[in-house]
Order: sequence, then C-alpha cells, then structure tokens
Amino acid sequence: MAELEFERRLERLFAEAPELADAGAFAERVERRLDAGWTARRWLIGAAGVVGGVIGASQLMVSGLFQRVETAGDSARLLSTSLNHLSTSTDWITAISSGGAVVWVAAGLAVIMMGFVLTRVIGEI
Amino acid sequence: MPGSRHSRFASAHDVELCGFAATGERRAFGELVRRHGSAVRGVLRRMGAQTAEADDVAQDAFLTAFERIAEFRGEGTFAAWVKKIAARIYLRRLQRDRRLTLMTAEAIEDEADPPRGDADANIDLEEALKALGEAERLCVSMCFGAGLSHTEAAEALNLPLGTVKSHVKRGLEKLRTRLAPEDGVVLEGRRGNG
Repeated sequence: MAELEFERRLERLFAEAPELADAGAFAERVERRLDAGWTARRWLIGAAGVVGGVIGASQLMVSGLFQRVETAGDSARLLSTSLNHLSTSTDWITAISSGGAVVWVAAGLAVIMMGFVLTRVIGEI
Repeated sequence: MPGSRHSRFASAHDVELCGFAATGERRAFGELVRRHGSAVRGVLRRMGAQTAEADDVAQDAFLTAFERIAEFRGEGTFAAWVKKIAARIYLRRLQRDRRLTLMTAEAIEDEADPPRGDADANIDLEEALKALGEAERLCVSMCFGAGLSHTEAAEALNLPLGTVKSHVKRGLEKLRTRLAPEDGVVLEGRRGNG
C-alpha cells in the first residue's frame, strides 16, 4: 500500500514539470523546423516533377510518337472508310475516328489520370 | 487570418489539435508544442540530459510526433506519447555515442549506501534525483517520468529485465530516503509493472 502511494507520489512529482520560461520560443523553433521541412519537401516534389517532365518529353520526341500518332490517324481514317463501305449505318465510327481524334482523346484522358495520381501522391506524402 | 486561427487553436482540446495536425496543420501542432514542450524537456533533463541536448532531443521528438501523428490513437495523453518518443530518441543517442554502456557498467559497480536524507527537509525531485547513479536515474525517469513499463525500458536500453528492475528498485530506495514523506507516511516497497 505504502509502496503504491510512494509510486503515485513520484509519478505526480514527475508530472508536475514547471513551465519553462522559454516555452514559447521553443515552440516557435519547432514550428520553424516543421515549416522548413515542408518547404524543402515542396521544392523536392516540384524539382522531381520538372525533371520527370523533361525526361518524359525528350523520350516522346526521341521515340517519334508524333509521327506514330499521324500514322495512327491515317489508319483510323482508312478503317472508317472501310467500315463505311461495309455499312452505311455506322456513322458514329466515322465521327470519332476522323483525324485521329480517338488517339488524342485517349492521350488527354491519360494526362488527366496522371495529374490525378500525382495529386494523390503529393497528398499522401 | 492567422490571428483568429491561433486563438481557435488555443481553446481547442489536445485531441482536436491532433486531428488538425493530422491534416498537415502545422500551427495546430505548434499549439501542442507550446502546451507540452516544457514537460517533455523536463523529463529529458530528469533522465540526465544537459539543457541543450534535452532541447535538441525534445525538438526531434516533436518532429517525429508530427510525422507519425496518424499513429496517435488518443489512448493515452498526447504528452505521454511524446515523452515516450523523446525517451527512446535520447536512449538511441546514448547508445550511438556509447555513453549508455559506460553508464550501466558504472552503476553496477556502484553499490555504496545512498546518502541519507533528512526526512523533514522538503527536497525537490531534481535534487533527489542527483543522489541516484546515472543508470538508476535513467531507469526511474523512464518508468515514472516517460511512462514506460519495465519491459519497455529494458527493450529500449537493451538490458535484461532483471537489471532494469534492480536499477529502479535501488533508485526508488534512494529517492525514498531523500524525499520528505507526505503527511508523515512511512514509505516502503517497489514497483512491479512488469
């Protein structure tokens, strides 16, 4: 019984830590370090994004994607023409595929998806 | 408006502030540091850290707490949670600098009788802790100040459980002789929280 009382007293004594005179200054130092950490993180993410974008763009240029897109557009046009020959009731295919629109819509959706994923990743970090 | 946000945080409960901090609100976490910074620094000083080192470790502990705020379930108090983090960081520093090995080795050799205190004198805890060996002081502060169990303290110190219990027991005996009893109660015994 007495041992428990002494232990409780000791816990109370430990809990009764006096407020230090520089408590406010200490909190400000911690806040500054938190802010510095977040600023550094934002810069890091931004820099990684720029580097990734440059690498991605250069890879697209090197791989000749734009020529392939034009080829795909031609193929789509050819396909729609063929389909028109098969059936006159498939006008919607012609509407979508004219000028390689399908490819561009898919690319746009992919960019939106990448933006969404990037936003989520930044949010998680 | 920063001023109004600060005043809103000043009146908020710790649990609410933790919720804000979990969404990345650093000013809310700053309010928690303002409230509990002294307690965390106090525990580290009582564990034997010098003022500057105690402040460094306390800062690291709060930064770690902010990073891991989602892990805080509110089962205990926020202050208790940060104290545990701080105690572990301090121990890692001691181990890294090989100060812990020397400390525990010295303490095992130190079997001299503790200086007897005047039971009528109202000696405060800081003064009483100075009478303890470093390992005893560390173990007692970890268990009674940072709220670690004997087992947690043994794991953190990388020492056998029995050794930690011995340090705590000897430390308590010394403290009992140094601290004036409350209401004339004769104090004996030991802690057994496993």
